[in-house]
Amino acid sequence: MPKVEAPVEKWRGRVQEVRLGGDGRKQVTVGGESTLPFLHFDGEIPHRPVIAAEVLDMPPADWAENVVSAWGDALKSPAAWAKKAAQLGADLIFLRLASAHPEQGNTSGAQAAKTVSQVMEATDLPLIVVGPDVAEKDNEVIVAVAEAARGQRLALGTVTDKNYRTIVATAMAGGHAVVAQAPMDMNLSKQLNILCCDVGLPKDSLVMDPTTGALGYGMEYALSVFERLRLAALQGDAMTAMPILCHAGYESWRQKEAKAVEGVPVSWGDQKVRSLLWEQMTALTLLQSGAEIMVLRHPRSMDVVRGVIDRLMARQGPVS
Amino acid sequence: MKTCRVSFQPGGAVVSVSEGTLLLDAAARAGILLDMPCGGQGRCGRCRVKVESGEVTGRENIHLSQEDMAQGWVLSCTARVVGDLAITVPPKVERDRAIVELPSARAAAQIALHWPRYPALRRAYLELTPPSLEDNAPDLERLRRGLRQEANLEGLELDVYQMRELGATLRQDNWRVSATLDASGPGNRLVDLRPGRIKGPLLGLAVDIGTTNVVAYLVNLDNGRLLGKASRMNRQVSCGEDVISRIVFSQREGGVDTLQNLAVDTINVLVKELAQAHGASPEDIGDMVMAGNTTMAHLFLGIPPRYIREEPYVPTATHFPVCTARDLGLAIHPRASVYCVPSVAAYVGGDITAGVLASKLYESDTLSLFLDVGTNGEIVLGNKDFMMTDACSAGPALEGAGMRCGMRAMPGAIEDVRISSLTLEPTIKVIGDVPAQGICGSGLISAVAEMLVTGVISKGGKIDLDYVLSRQPERPRARPGESGPEYVLVWAGEAGGGTDITLSEVDLENLVRVKAAIYAGIMVMAEKSGIPLDTVERVLIGGAFGQHINVEQAIQIGLLPDLPWDKFHFLGNTSAWGAYNILLSKHARSKVEELVAGMTYVELIADNSFMNEFTASLFLPHTDADRFPSVAHLLSR
Repeated sequence: MPKVEAPVEKWRGRVQEVRLGGDGRKQVTVGGESTLPFLHFDGEIPHRPVIAAEVLDMPPADWAENVVSAWGDALKSPAAWAKKAAQLGADLIFLRLASAHPEQGNTSGAQAAKTVSQVMEATDLPLIVVGPDVAEKDNEVIVAVAEAARGQRLALGTVTDKNYRTIVATAMAGGHAVVAQAPMDMNLSKQLNILCCDVGLPKDSLVMDPTTGALGYGMEYALSVFERLRLAALQGDAMTAMPILCHAGYESWRQKEAKAVEGVPVSWGDQKVRSLLWEQMTALTLLQSGAEIMVLRHPRSMDVVRGVIDRLMARQGPVS
Repeated sequence: MKTCRVSFQPGGAVVSVSEGTLLLDAAARAGILLDMPCGGQGRCGRCRVKVESGEVTGRENIHLSQEDMAQGWVLSCTARVVGDLAITVPPKVERDRAIVELPSARAAAQIALHWPRYPALRRAYLELTPPSLEDNAPDLERLRRGLRQEANLEGLELDVYQMRELGATLRQDNWRVSATLDASGPGNRLVDLRPGRIKGPLLGLAVDIGTTNVVAYLVNLDNGRLLGKASRMNRQVSCGEDVISRIVFSQREGGVDTLQNLAVDTINVLVKELAQAHGASPEDIGDMVMAGNTTMAHLFLGIPPRYIREEPYVPTATHFPVCTARDLGLAIHPRASVYCVPSVAAYVGGDITAGVLASKLYESDTLSLFLDVGTNGEIVLGNKDFMMTDACSAGPALEGAGMRCGMRAMPGAIEDVRISSLTLEPTIKVIGDVPAQGICGSGLISAVAEMLVTGVISKGGKIDLDYVLSRQPERPRARPGESGPEYVLVWAGEAGGGTDITLSEVDLENLVRVKAAIYAGIMVMAEKSGIPLDTVERVLIGGAFGQHINVEQAIQIGLLPDLPWDKFHFLGNTSAWGAYNILLSKHARSKVEELVAGMTYVELIADNSFMNEFTASLFLPHTDADRFPSVAHLLSR
């Protein structure tokens, strides 16, 4: 048999490395790839994709019973929740300051700072901290958090094209990174990255959230956007080269298919199995189109996704 | 460091400055304050002075032509003293003029007749032999014979109404008559028959019906001379600002009739104005050519345009029957023929085919990009071997509609804006010697470009209130307004209307969408034809609005591609120009019919490439900064 040289793609660009976490504590670096996801033969993949556990600062009101019971009493306190997530092998904590929402408690910046301090005492994992997605409240609580966690290099969010100046400036002042969210369009993600960098944010302090679609709810659009962002980055476009954050947990669990127990066809099967499959399918698919930070809800999904990452990083085949 | 003596004329002031001093600073030392609307960045070209003798560095600037530079002109904000100098400072008026004489603001090409003059309308004066017992041919036969023998005109056509009056008319001045005939069809259609010899010239009307503005040219068909031009806002605007809302209106009960009447009313007002100005009677106008987009043509003729709007976007027709003024209610000669220039497709109309005819793009080897920017943006790429065309809906912002302080380009409209990068204070130029009342399309492009370059707005088109406040703590020009942040171009005290003239973020978004649509249309054309934009040798800018675009600033906001300025040529109102040629030459008329058949239409919504390009263009100047290297360079300063 003649020896065949497998063609190797030579990319000009490389994904931007972003380091999260404080001095003397656990740090995580994402990005740095010079190839498409898991194509080790084409280029380097210096850092494995990571799993962030989604933690709320208040007991979740509308989560499915099986994800609530999986976390148990830990849900009552963000510190306990984060600690349990760390024990279950999360690489990062994604802390959502839901209670700051004007309709869910309207808690203050001071409270947010206190919550973050408690979480940081409970675990030394790096933190992504986002507000309630209400511009004014986001600015209020994130400014307080950034100040309280100075030097801890959090990723702060959520930055959008309508609301980026305050959070970006705060992040720069406190040595933090930001999560920038654009509505599922490659150009809009890139535009937001440019706007953030124009304010002065270093390129290594930016994580993209290009918006996730769950299985059955636009997953293929998300896949295409992730993939095109990544291809552009590898072709040398520095403004699309930021690591990608994916909300597989949040987006999957809010769909009917993950939650419905009654009134659905028998063929849908057991909700407990179905819901996990929904989250895992979404996560595993988008993992392979370029996501570096996978935010998940259920401990079991964290296990499964980590297992797949392990094997893909070890150049093994898929999980049997 | 070397000290240099710099003298200034007039006045004769002499100052000593060290080598490397900016001329601007040397002038200030001599007590001469030069205006710097752009803040001294070499962007506006208004601080030009002439170096009579001596050496300076920094002579080159895009605002100076080779000729200017050879004559010693420099910009005092970029030129630095090298040795002893003698400088002439031109009077302020002259310096101010430089702002309108930017290379990009060159005068549009003059309307011209490209074809041998051969109008379809002709007039013959006949002295017929009166009938007798020996020569007892009927009146009509006598007229035919006269036309054949005295004017070499065959195939007279007339209707029964004309025939009823024929006997009396011929006899009224003892068999002396003037016959006006329309030869656009196969025969010679009798338009007018009058006793005696008619004194005045034979007149024709070339009309460009734009979605927003209507322009009419009165033409002397005997010698081809353009007698006058008049324009008005299309009265249909009251029924919707763009083509789509017009079509929606037309679907109401009686909507088509209403719109048809409004178009005709607009033209009739222009006809009256032109006739009065030239001592003519509207009835003297015996021929008319109309160029307009496909929807305008449908509405002008009273054809329901609704299918243009519904997938798969098919018009009732692209070629229209020649009709008479009476059919349409036009106040010119009732039997005057009215020819509508044919369209290519639903969104590439007769204004574009007329424009291509005027541009002569079709007979050149040079690869040209023809743009007609108005409420719709139409694009033609090609040369004598091929032509491709597409169209995008831009909206009426560039024509002054749909913006809070928008207005048409008429006295009182801000047409040029410069913002000082140091003080963020604007310097405006207003059409006519009157206080500003609003801003027109070219002023809008100019304002947004300056706001971008000076950091008043982000690349996302959002006003940076904090930055403006930091530079203007006393009386910031940017403030939170009713509909989000806004920028004050003119304070109420200086404005004609007594209220602040502002640009809000909503207005900015509006303009960004307009420019994104046009640029995306250009890019999709380049992509589909496989012709990279930088291989385009000429960009021909037509349309009524085009001639007012400042290319430099249009590139800065990403409306026009970042190509060398000398590739851009302004043709003026090519639609009316084309109509004028068709009115005066039957050859031009047959050529335009041929052109329509030779243009390939690209449907932008057939796939998602337009949407991709459009979203990428919703940024200043563009999401892909590499496509606008000159702007990226400017913004990095």
